[in-house]
Amino acid sequence: MIAPAVIILGAMSLWPMLQSLIWSFTKYSGLGDATWVGLNNYLDLFQDARFQQATLNTVIFAVVTMAIGPALGLGAAILLNRKMKGRAFYRAAFFIPVTTALVAVATVWKLLLNDSGVINLVLELIGLEGHQWLGDPNTALLAVCAASIWQGFGFEMVIFLAALQSVPVELLEAASLDGAGPWRRFWHVVLPSLRPTFIFVYVIGLIGGFQVFDQVYVMTQGGPVNSTLTIVYYLIDRFRGLDLGHASAVAYVLVLILVALSYLQIRLARRWA
Amino acid sequence: MKKKSQLMLMGAALSAVALVASGCTNAGDGASGDQVTLVVWDYYGSASPIVAAVPEFEKTHSNIKIKVEPLDWDSMLDKFPVAVSSGAAPDLATLDMTWLPTFASGGLLTELDEVSNGAINGQALSEVYNEGALNAMKYEGKYVAALYDFDAYCLYYRSDILQEKGLSVPTTWAEMLETAKAMAEDTNGDGNADKYAMQILPDSFHFAQYLNQNGGSFLNSDWTEAKFNDAAGVGALEYMKQLLAAGGIYWGPDQGDSTGMPGIKDERIGMFVNGPYMMGVIKDGAPEQSGKWAIAPAPEGKQQGSYLGGTGLAIPTGAKHADAAWEFLQFLLEPENQELLFTVAGAAPATIAGIERPALTAPDPYFGGQSPFEYFEEAMSTATPFPYVAQWDDIDSRVSEALEGALLGASTVQDALDGAAKPVNSELSK
Amino acid sequence: MRFSNQVAPVARGRRGGISVLPRKFVLHSLLIISSLLMLFPFIWALSTSLKEAKDVFDPSGGVIPNPISFDAYVNVFTKIAFSQYFLNSVIVTVLIVGLNVLFDTLAAYAFAKLKFPGRDVIFGVLLITLMIPSQVNLVPLYRFMVWLHQVFPFLGVDTLSGIVMPTMVQVFGIFLLRQFFASIPDSVVEAARLDGAGEWRILWRMIFPIAAPAIATLVIFTFLSAWNDFLWPLLISNSEASRTLPVGLTLLSRKNTVNWPETMAGSVVTIVPMIIVFLVLQRRFIEGIAAGVTK
Repeated sequence: MIAPAVIILGAMSLWPMLQSLIWSFTKYSGLGDATWVGLNNYLDLFQDARFQQATLNTVIFAVVTMAIGPALGLGAAILLNRKMKGRAFYRAAFFIPVTTALVAVATVWKLLLNDSGVINLVLELIGLEGHQWLGDPNTALLAVCAASIWQGFGFEMVIFLAALQSVPVELLEAASLDGAGPWRRFWHVVLPSLRPTFIFVYVIGLIGGFQVFDQVYVMTQGGPVNSTLTIVYYLIDRFRGLDLGHASAVAYVLVLILVALSYLQIRLARRWA
Repeated sequence: MKKKSQLMLMGAALSAVALVASGCTNAGDGASGDQVTLVVWDYYGSASPIVAAVPEFEKTHSNIKIKVEPLDWDSMLDKFPVAVSSGAAPDLATLDMTWLPTFASGGLLTELDEVSNGAINGQALSEVYNEGALNAMKYEGKYVAALYDFDAYCLYYRSDILQEKGLSVPTTWAEMLETAKAMAEDTNGDGNADKYAMQILPDSFHFAQYLNQNGGSFLNSDWTEAKFNDAAGVGALEYMKQLLAAGGIYWGPDQGDSTGMPGIKDERIGMFVNGPYMMGVIKDGAPEQSGKWAIAPAPEGKQQGSYLGGTGLAIPTGAKHADAAWEFLQFLLEPENQELLFTVAGAAPATIAGIERPALTAPDPYFGGQSPFEYFEEAMSTATPFPYVAQWDDIDSRVSEALEGALLGASTVQDALDGAAKPVNSELSK
Repeated sequence: MRFSNQVAPVARGRRGGISVLPRKFVLHSLLIISSLLMLFPFIWALSTSLKEAKDVFDPSGGVIPNPISFDAYVNVFTKIAFSQYFLNSVIVTVLIVGLNVLFDTLAAYAFAKLKFPGRDVIFGVLLITLMIPSQVNLVPLYRFMVWLHQVFPFLGVDTLSGIVMPTMVQVFGIFLLRQFFASIPDSVVEAARLDGAGEWRILWRMIFPIAAPAIATLVIFTFLSAWNDFLWPLLISNSEASRTLPVGLTLLSRKNTVNWPETMAGSVVTIVPMIIVFLVLQRRFIEGIAAGVTK
């Protein structure tokens, strides 16, 4: 029964992984022979200012999106966690971006953020100055973050909605009997029971955040001045330069980062849970 | 019995995949006899001179069928190295000349001498191309691509505005500054020009233009060390900065449009320096501005000079039908098919005979009755291609970074260029 | 167990009738404004796709195009093979979803309910693959597809099967379903076995129906990622015949001069089917995700 899955995964996942692991220790242009260089590719990466920049940008991206996305998601979930008119509409409005192709929405955002695009138009209408959002190294990464948060927080909303539904009523009632107001109930009863959900959201979110690529590819191509260069974009850039050795090494550095982060989160989860 | 049903399900699933797959593979590869299907990867997109040449070619070469697979510039860059190095090469591809060093040093390109016997359409190469072009086609002394269209820069300007403001066409760097200043307007008073401005592009192509004119070069003569941060390089970038301050509009990669067409359309851009392909682009994109544009040689710095680039036709390593590809390549270089570059794509033919076609020298009403081609031809004669080193890809991105940094004011010109030179030198020393 | 519907800090005003109205009003205003903000990019994309190219950045343009032009859609479907891309996207998505349901279920059942040597080791190895960014597999996988295409010309590179194959089994799916299957008591399975039911029968007749919510989750996630995937299809598809919508859209949006109405028409064509599917299956969508992640 597992045979089909294991065979397919072996060919489509494990084998490529092993191959690129080997490449990461070689100098290899894709044609001809690969020459063994040991850990040199990894050492090069740590000395490369562009890779450092890419790592920093990726961390910023992950932190910003993870700081704002889940908060918005939880906020929306709380507002919508009750019977009210139009609930289905609001929920749909927040969730629809999640269902859409990143490539497509990134293209739409590029139009919105264009110099003479509608965002600047509105800013000028209310007396503010327009800005080259994607053209300024100080704002390009934030613009990519904004588009990503917009696209993604509906997912977190749905998860929090589900989690809120399963907060046991008995606990809340007990808290009410003890005289706890809504805020206190939220802080002391609801939030603690959401811990596993938070951990889930952050594990998924950080893995996704560290692998950010599509938005950058469409919106900024890593620029301006490398301000939106991310780890995976850097990896693809190395592929284009026929540098499979360094490209593969980048992937395994990323794997190490993710494994470390996941380990950390599981440790934290154990302590809190 | 359990096994059996399992197998049946597996079989059903697999045959479903196979069914779909076979429905979508195109027949032809395995065709019998001498019939050959040539796969061409073409980044010209919807206005392709290659597609336009196919019917005539297939008529005269009944044994060759051409299958053109349209791509864009970026996708070609993503797909070509992966496909060729994995043994899934097309038979012929259009490649930006700036990619040649990386691809050639990676062994992705067939040496044309292997198929050409030193001649194109029966003519010696030196009769087909001028010397600048021939140099651009070589990597480490071997021809790896045939130049199809060329790119060398001239000045495009709004002649109506120039006239209205009583200005004359600038011919030197100093005059250019004056003209940019007098022509550009700042309609919203934010201190940046936003009407009829000079377009400043922070890319290696445009930097090369000023660098060459200032007597500088990207690398030293044996391509072992960065030279773009010497006095000539700093001077060139300083000049770009002055132009930007005098009456320029910064046109970064975030515009999502390297041509500047939206800015030309809404008249934010009144002047720019670019290659002949822009003639086609603005005619297409801004037909209502017909008669308002004109072209002149790029204003001269210390010397004349231009970036030289263009599109090469290359036969990738592992092409299944290299000989047939060579047939088609030669066909595309015949003068009447070179003319298609101009009539279909608005680009500039690269062969000597191609440039002299009547369609190219005819007066062009869009450009006020000028026949602008001669200027580009002239520019080509003093143009220099990028240095052909395997690390060019990397150098290019470092330099672009420095340009963006300096032009946006994130660092001084000297610091930005020095900052780019350091990693470039360490790359080159490998 | 009872579950609460009212845990929010601003729980319905119990204390007095007076505060109810303004509070409701504020809440709904907030929600309406933010909903509109959320939907605005789609509205603007639709609006732009119906404009003429020259009007796209017209400051006085507004949301409603004047004149309304369908040229962009006509061009997208005639000059560019968007109908072909659309069909391909549908085929690829249906296949990926179907194959995942089949293969992931089989594997998950085996990992959860059968005992065989090396079970936990194999499962552990599979889990590691979840950490690898898929981009690193691009080149080796591409080569595998080239080889496959040489052996079986109807498979591999530049066929729809090439797009489908790398994701026709997903560790994520196996993991998700295994967790769900594990929560079904072994005694239920044992009882069925004693009644003489084969594993096959147990799986399809008993487990599958119980696991419907988890399978719904798998279907939704797979559906989303299959429809929206982009880099792998871009690499593996050469001819028009094997391109999907996101690939076609990228090619469209990156031409030298961006034609915004056409690009937005392409985006709308890519986005709208997903929105329709979502709206039709809204409850299932949201419940499916919730079921999958709270288990």
